[in-house]
Amino acid sequence: MNKLESFFLRTYVKHPKRNLMRFSFVFMVLGIVLSVAILSAGLNLFEGYERTLKTVLLDSFAHINLISSFNEYMEKDRALDISKQMSDKDEIISATPCLSYSAMVRNEDKVRGAMIRAYLQVPGTKTEAPYLKYLSPGYDGLNEGSVYIGHYMAKELGLARGDSITVIYPQLDRISMLGLMSSEHSFAIAGIYRSGYYEYDRSVLITTPTAAQSLLMIGDEYTKVELRLKPAYVDKAKTLADQYSAQLGHSIVAQPWTISSEGLFRLIKMEKWLIFIIFSFLVLIAGINVISAVITIIYDKKNEIAVLKTVGASQSSIKRLLFFRIALVGIFSIILGQITGALLSLFIVNQNIYSLKGEVYFIDRLAIHVSPLNQLVILAVSSALILLCILVPLRRIDRMQIIELLRNP
Amino acid sequence: MQILAARHLAKSYTDSAQTIEVLKDINLELNSADLVSITGKSGSGKSTLLHILGLLDMQNKGSVLINGEEVSASSKSAAKIRNQDLGFVFQFHYLIEDLTAEENVALPLLIDGMSHQKSLARARELLCGFGLGERLKHYSNQLSGGEQQRVSLARALVNEPKLVLADEPTGNLDPDNSLEIWNTILRLNKDLGQAFIVITHDHEAAKMAHVTYELDHGVLKPN
Repeated sequence: MNKLESFFLRTYVKHPKRNLMRFSFVFMVLGIVLSVAILSAGLNLFEGYERTLKTVLLDSFAHINLISSFNEYMEKDRALDISKQMSDKDEIISATPCLSYSAMVRNEDKVRGAMIRAYLQVPGTKTEAPYLKYLSPGYDGLNEGSVYIGHYMAKELGLARGDSITVIYPQLDRISMLGLMSSEHSFAIAGIYRSGYYEYDRSVLITTPTAAQSLLMIGDEYTKVELRLKPAYVDKAKTLADQYSAQLGHSIVAQPWTISSEGLFRLIKMEKWLIFIIFSFLVLIAGINVISAVITIIYDKKNEIAVLKTVGASQSSIKRLLFFRIALVGIFSIILGQITGALLSLFIVNQNIYSLKGEVYFIDRLAIHVSPLNQLVILAVSSALILLCILVPLRRIDRMQIIELLRNP
Repeated sequence: MQILAARHLAKSYTDSAQTIEVLKDINLELNSADLVSITGKSGSGKSTLLHILGLLDMQNKGSVLINGEEVSASSKSAAKIRNQDLGFVFQFHYLIEDLTAEENVALPLLIDGMSHQKSLARARELLCGFGLGERLKHYSNQLSGGEQQRVSLARALVNEPKLVLADEPTGNLDPDNSLEIWNTILRLNKDLGQAFIVITHDHEAAKMAHVTYELDHGVLKPN
């Protein structure tokens, strides 16, 4: 940058109102602000969705499930022994034996599929009841005749706390002359929970191990030991699962959460970047506006260009002067667009007109996350597109003859 | 000492129908401290001649020598010569509207690589000498026509060029302001030995120059 260029740049920064706030810039600024705001808001919402879904999913489900290799039930002692072995590890928050199986629930003529869950809690060990934090205030403690259900299940079946629900377990291995035999129990609803994960809130029904075993007609047995990891280790679940499998021997298989959900998160990530690419085209369209603004500015400033050429400034220097001026406005517009995008996404999250459909999007609330990395990517990509759109028409200056400019002031 | 020489300059414009010869075999020599005026009717080629001498336009034939060296608008050194050896004043002031008077005057020095502070200090000094000490921080739209033209003259002189080329510098001014500009030109020529080529419509004013020419149908004739 030579003395002339640094002088002009200083003048632009020192007197922005006089040098940068021009009518010819209005539509260019509007175009950039709007397109970057949409791009930024889209990415903020997608990032928020991805993070919320992951948080809710990892909060609701085990990070690693330890199950029998042959899909057999584990005796209570065996399950507790595995739980104790795992509890010694630093990365483990809890290791809780769990009985989990599919069943059906009914309220009058409404019938739904459900997932029965029962957790074995032993005081003084790292066993826990992961559902407690989701329960609405005023819930009653669980006993052999009561259950907790999710708020979507309650809504769909028209149930409330204190009502009763019938749980049916079809005994597939017990067929009589009359057809399929089934166990059927009626439970009082002791509490309603809301985890935020649609599938969980719609299908999981929690009861005591004794009640769940009685319905299944089995002894004091469990299907798995659920492990929850400290946040720093959640993304290493796959590696840890391999280690635990090796440690526990062939009879136990460790299944990390990524087995069922990794594909979903990959898809979301891919969708996020697809959105980014598509919305980047909006910035490119705003760039066409920039090209038109630059041509107008060149026309407006032809006297200045003529003077500068006359007093000895080089073509490249003149181009850089105009470039700095328009680029400053462009970069300012991009940053303004990012701020507008954050405000726009905040508005979308807080509005009551539209909410996510849990059955489609897994969670039922919109969330926003302004990731610094995403904002940097938006700034870099938008700047590259806009600066390119400034550079292209500036080449016209090379073809401008001083003499033509002076003859037509 | 010879500053500028034009040898057999010719310039013509061709369109689909005809060729118009604007300048025909122009010969001119200018030494330091010369004050030359060129008059002529509109369309006689006065501005074209000045543009060719100032390396802003290309001739079809002939040559221009500045400091004894043959140069043209397409020479690599043309921009440097326009910055260091030549100064320009036009009928329209061509001040940059976003810059103050002092910043406009400092432009040639900045292009030459002088620091901001020194350039502005030199510009201020010159403008004060032109009686514009109160107008240093004014933008062009805050100056009168005469003041604008004096700022433009200061910009032409700030790099201490060997020659100032003025194309109808008083063409847009009232008689009082015209006289003031002419007086400034005469004073600079007399006191500093500054060479000028001034193109004008005003035959009376032209007589104030040491040498006067008339450009008639592309031919330069001494008066």
